[in-house]
Amino acid sequence: MPLRYLLPVCALAWGTPAIAADLRAYPAEITISGPNRAQQLVVVEEENGRAVRNLTSSAKFASSAESVAKVDASGAVTGLNDGESTITVTVGAKSVAVPVKVSAGAEWSFRNHVIPTLTRAGCNMGACHGALAGKGGMKLSLRGYDPESDWHVLTRQALGRRVDGAKPDASLLLTKAVRAIPHGGGERFDDTSPHYQVLLDWITKGASGPKDADAELTKIEAFPPAILVAPGAKNTFRVVVRATYSNGAVEDVTRLARFGSTEENVARVSEDGTVTPAGTGEAAITVGFGTKVTALTVTAPFPNAVNADAFAKSQRHNFVDEHTLKKLELLRLPPSEQCSDAEFVRRAYLDTCGILPKPDEVTKFVADVDPKKRAKLIDALLEHPAFVDYWALKWSDLLLVSSRKLPQPAMWAFYRKVRQSVADNQPWDRFARDVLTATGSTLTNGGGNFFVIHKDTAELAESTALAFLGTSIGCAKCHNHPLEKWTQDQYWAFANLFARVGLKNGDRAGEVFVQSKADGDALHPRTGKAVPPAPLDGKPLAADSAADRRAYFADWLTAPDNPLFARAAVNRVWRAYMGRGLVEAEDDLRDTNPASNRELLDALADDFVKHKFDLKHLMRTILNSAAYQRSSKPAKGNEADDRFGSRYLLRRLPGEVILDAYSDITGVPTPFDKLNSAAGDSTSPTNSFPRGTRAVQVPDSLVTSRFLDAFGRPERVQTCACERTADASVAQALHLNNGHTLNDKLRDKNSVVSKWIEEKLTDAQIVDRVFLSALSRKPTPVEAKKFLDILAEANKDPQARREALEDFVWAVLTGREFLFNR
Amino acid sequence: MIRLDANRPASFCDGSTRRDFLHAGALAPLGITLAGANRGRAEGTPDTDVNCIMLFLVGGPSQLDTWDMKPKAPAEVRGPFAPAKTNVPGIEIAETFPKMAKHADKFSLVRTVYHTATAVHDTGHQMMQTGRLFAGGIEYPHVGCALGYLKGGRGELPAHVLVPKPIGRTGGNLPHGHSAGYLGKPHDPFILNADPNAPGFKVPDLLPPEYLSALRAERRQKLRDAVDGATSAFEQSGAAKQLDDNFKLAYKLMSSTKARDAFALEKESDKTKDRYGRTRFGQSCLMARRLIEAGVRFVTVNMFETVFDEVTWDIHGSKPFTDIVQMSKEVVPNFDAAYTALLEDLHDRGLLKTTMVVAVGEFGRTPKVNPAGGRDHHPGAWTVVMGGGPLKGGTVVGETDELGYAPKTRPVTPGEVAATIFKGLGLDPHKELPGPQNRPIPLADFNVKPIGELF
Repeated sequence: MPLRYLLPVCALAWGTPAIAADLRAYPAEITISGPNRAQQLVVVEEENGRAVRNLTSSAKFASSAESVAKVDASGAVTGLNDGESTITVTVGAKSVAVPVKVSAGAEWSFRNHVIPTLTRAGCNMGACHGALAGKGGMKLSLRGYDPESDWHVLTRQALGRRVDGAKPDASLLLTKAVRAIPHGGGERFDDTSPHYQVLLDWITKGASGPKDADAELTKIEAFPPAILVAPGAKNTFRVVVRATYSNGAVEDVTRLARFGSTEENVARVSEDGTVTPAGTGEAAITVGFGTKVTALTVTAPFPNAVNADAFAKSQRHNFVDEHTLKKLELLRLPPSEQCSDAEFVRRAYLDTCGILPKPDEVTKFVADVDPKKRAKLIDALLEHPAFVDYWALKWSDLLLVSSRKLPQPAMWAFYRKVRQSVADNQPWDRFARDVLTATGSTLTNGGGNFFVIHKDTAELAESTALAFLGTSIGCAKCHNHPLEKWTQDQYWAFANLFARVGLKNGDRAGEVFVQSKADGDALHPRTGKAVPPAPLDGKPLAADSAADRRAYFADWLTAPDNPLFARAAVNRVWRAYMGRGLVEAEDDLRDTNPASNRELLDALADDFVKHKFDLKHLMRTILNSAAYQRSSKPAKGNEADDRFGSRYLLRRLPGEVILDAYSDITGVPTPFDKLNSAAGDSTSPTNSFPRGTRAVQVPDSLVTSRFLDAFGRPERVQTCACERTADASVAQALHLNNGHTLNDKLRDKNSVVSKWIEEKLTDAQIVDRVFLSALSRKPTPVEAKKFLDILAEANKDPQARREALEDFVWAVLTGREFLFNR
Repeated sequence: MIRLDANRPASFCDGSTRRDFLHAGALAPLGITLAGANRGRAEGTPDTDVNCIMLFLVGGPSQLDTWDMKPKAPAEVRGPFAPAKTNVPGIEIAETFPKMAKHADKFSLVRTVYHTATAVHDTGHQMMQTGRLFAGGIEYPHVGCALGYLKGGRGELPAHVLVPKPIGRTGGNLPHGHSAGYLGKPHDPFILNADPNAPGFKVPDLLPPEYLSALRAERRQKLRDAVDGATSAFEQSGAAKQLDDNFKLAYKLMSSTKARDAFALEKESDKTKDRYGRTRFGQSCLMARRLIEAGVRFVTVNMFETVFDEVTWDIHGSKPFTDIVQMSKEVVPNFDAAYTALLEDLHDRGLLKTTMVVAVGEFGRTPKVNPAGGRDHHPGAWTVVMGGGPLKGGTVVGETDELGYAPKTRPVTPGEVAATIFKGLGLDPHKELPGPQNRPIPLADFNVKPIGELF
């Protein structure tokens, strides 16, 4: 019986789709005012601002004024005469009107059309004519960053044969590209392509070069702005790209744009902008044209049947949860339940302070009936002395504190500055300003060592951008960034902010005086001239301004409306607590690498600014969220989530934390008595670190430790979050099995094992103690029996019992439950 | 075969403890499964699967000053050295490789390798080790890791060993392609992480200390498995699974006679060590030979760790880099000695028939000598040296133009070099591996063919 009803519905759905939600056509209004007289329309069904179905091929199009603009069956609108028209787009019973304005367009411009055509065709890429030495005798600038020289090369070199005004279609530029004559680079396009037409028209009309008055590209937009893929759906979406220029001209540049996908497992994109869903999760489709980039998000929910109640009833402790649950609901990822108290106490101590809770702290916390006990514990941990050690370590990683480039006294001064700032909970903007405008002796004002580490202006600029803006600008040093919006001009304007730092040796060992100088410039390598110093996308300082450039930069950096400064810090802190950055890698903030939850990142950054860059407030907000307090056990359907916050992500503890825990649990501290040479080829003794110094308290990444090397401590050579690794390796397992670190602690005659034996503890008491101190829980009856049986076998003579106990502690301390925070 | 004396009480003097340890290993008491080759064959007669040693010439050797000389080019291109005859008529290489010249029948030169990606070291490292440039968030596996994935290790030996260390920073800040990429960490190479030329070299932590008897080591593994809280969370975690797999592999390694023997460089005579050259690369090549003899399928030897701070093939001329002359004084003799000693030893042991030796760099150098007396990055053309196994020796593939600037005939991509290695290893170059989210990804793309002239 149901068949009778179903059939006609299906037929209807396949014939003319029934539109459940909004019918939208993009661009919503069309302006045709550039030389490209065509604009492609895309028609989609939209839900909450996300395209859910591409309807372009089933839509009908009609123009109200055919003499102004005509439209074909595919939705391509062509401007014919100045005036206005309306395109009516109809799908089934719904329709939408798209106003069109047509005005006279300029000629194809060398800067804005010819170069992008060559870029899209790959002519000026690094492997072809964009190579430093060119190719086949023709050298273009890499991806067209130098239009003047490119125009000269194309029109003036090679006896003018590349561009032939008398016989345009005989120009080498065209005959080579279509491979009418031999071309090492093969066929780039054929003579029926729009690319061919642009170049031919340009040559025919006189091949004019770049002019100072050329309109400048001011923005690009990609449509539809977001895509939501129905579970299991395979239909494709088409992306159109529109450029706007400084003279007001607007045109369709889809066929000149470059496309990429950040997650090809979720969605792929073809050269012409066709998006094909491939899996579940979220991907950004990146779009580049000229010096601008943008991205649109493709969301592909997981194939779970989840009811809205699960989300509505899930706990919300603060705004983090509102945003997280919204995202989870969109992606159909059910949240895991909240973690137990025993799990929470261990997790919070480790993430906040890098230490394990003591057994009595665990017992007391679990037994506490105060409903606010988690919030209270969080407050206490943020004031714990170990908090200072742990976060001083993190920020020392960021600022490369080590004796690699700093003499010992200078390194200590730098470390003390970092440490004091953590102890005082110095607002992040004040900290950044202190370091970046540090003046005077680097021994009294330790932050100044940042400039001693980065003596080269370009390196200083790049490291500053990475550390405080989470942004890599390095590629733009030599050419416009191929994947990002930063241009070479912007790079050198930015670098020039750092060109007036003076360093002078002081009298004391390791002392350097840092001061702002009145002159000096970083010269743009292409022009040999100084570019007026300017922050990224910021207002330039006049080249002859006497203002302190560092102060000018610090003002811009820490301004509440700086879009990157707060986000970069928030993302680092989020990653430390949640196991993955909202933007990953944590220091790779860019338009083409969007956050896994943009609204959440925005909200956290706003809140951070509102609270005057108070790091502890930010941490408190994250720690108190239900998202942080979720169990690490997957709920049915969220197993594959590694970024949206449906459960707590397991993560291996940092090497320093493991090593300190080994010292605490065995009662035998780790000696730090040798330093590696900067080249890593020799060691020398040091007495800088008294017995009992914890690994997290060691400011020097050159201190000798096989253990820390195996467990991925950063070298602090390069400002990059990638320096610290959490990978598992066989070397780690071999070291724990055979190396000195853990074995020596267990065998030590003052170790906890000796004490137990002295105190005549039973095996059962020992098993309980080890579990509580290492895993913050008691053993299950099954576990306890297994251990006691194995230990009983060795209970015959004292030496055998001791070894068995050592082996038992070894086993707990090398197990996954110990080495991971969960 | 089963020895029960490993269960005797723990305290032994040195000798017996260690021996017992090995027997415990032979028991394989922990359910360690031996992937790929069956154990009996691995311990008795070796199989005849082809192995491979990849010598990575980090920095990018200059084609014009090594194996693709252009004596007729203008002085600013041809460089300071002259070509010399080899033992194969018609093949000439730089006069600075006198030892190599005596073995030209054992290797072939592919002179027209080129790539079209950005001319930074890292892209070339990726492409030469995996056959592909990384894009779209996908990291491809090293050819040796793909082999290990498909065939597993022989006996308890890892399938793919990397000596002495992975390539470090080379400026591009991109992955170098030494790992198993999308195949997952379990298929990463075993990394030596030590300098075999250092005095008192031993593989870090490979052997248990004296006081750890076999009984204790076995008990530790048993106890370790008995902690089993939060199982469901850990089972979803690749990192946690990896941790446990590493402990299993570590135990396999430390309890295996064969494995410890393979790494025991001290068993080689001084004379042999001298022949390979007392350099990190020389002794790494010797280590590679021992590993192949023991049954490792693939060994990657990185000639240098970075291109900074040491004299390498990266001859920009200006500081901190070296120039052509300095390269020829230090780097070239180092390679010449180690490479030829390796060929000779493999040949004398009858292993060259089943072992390919490929020496690759990440790109070539600009033909025109720069004002600092060096040459810069140039991925337009360079030479790859391939031989052994089923590969022909004494052949030249491809010809570059008169400046060594670009291929004139037979251009060869890094993907084709990888496909050639796959074919040489006896694998179908287009065999599909399970990629991310189980998307099938062929070893080499379907339009990428092995270099037919070498077979």
